[in-house]
Amino acid sequence: MVPVSYYLTLSAIMFTVGVVGVVVRRNSIVVFMCIELMLNAVNLSFVALSHYLGNLNGQIAVFFVMVVAAAEAAVGLAIIISMFRAMKSVETSNADQLNG
Amino acid sequence: MEIAFFIMALIILVSGIGVIVSHNPIHSALWLVANLLTVAGLFANLDAHFLAVAQMIVYAGAIMVLVLFVLMLLNLKTERPSSASVMAKVVAAGFGIAFLWMIVPLLNRSFEVFEGPAVGVQGTVKEIGKLLYTKHIFPFEFASILIMAAIVGAVMLSKKKYRQ
Repeated sequence: MVPVSYYLTLSAIMFTVGVVGVVVRRNSIVVFMCIELMLNAVNLSFVALSHYLGNLNGQIAVFFVMVVAAAEAAVGLAIIISMFRAMKSVETSNADQLNG
Repeated sequence: MEIAFFIMALIILVSGIGVIVSHNPIHSALWLVANLLTVAGLFANLDAHFLAVAQMIVYAGAIMVLVLFVLMLLNLKTERPSSASVMAKVVAAGFGIAFLWMIVPLLNRSFEVFEGPAVGVQGTVKEIGKLLYTKHIFPFEFASILIMAAIVGAVMLSKKKYRQ
């Protein structure tokens, strides 16, 4: 069996890649995809530790993280569509005014 | 059995970097689909059978399809978007590497006494269902209210004219 620290290291690297993506990219949809990458890294941590501790509650937590991610995807993409309708662009550097 | 982990870990790393590096957002979405499917494979490797299938159906099959729909609806390839300056990218990558430099040895040291249990817990549909409906019944019901709120919110946000 692979030691659990290998899974946790992979999860940490994926989380860091997601954070760097959120900071660097300017397209809103790619930022959203990097957020999903971060959520996946945390899911991997939960499942790996659930397996190595013999406890199924970690997998229940992953179930609820997936539910929240699906709800966030629907609402976030609706916001991005509204942003595109108002500004004709999805770049984050164009969204610099609160009213308009 | 360990070779499966290393192959899948390599695919996950390569596709993760592909998401943040691709110029075309549709390429980023496709790299993310590969990432999600390979993470589902890792879930199956960890005896989380229900979660492996749920990850494929919900994440790769519903969320990413929705993202691709929105990407193709918006049709963004007309102009070349500006990206952060090279200095910003180098600083961000430097912070990421510094964070990993601190965290990874800490993880390896804290968890090196963990061995796998004699028999791994099987995350089958039956076991997860038993837990969900007895111990976690309240969050389970609340999740349905959350999804309904998300549906109403998404429909309200997409209407063209806001009518009272």
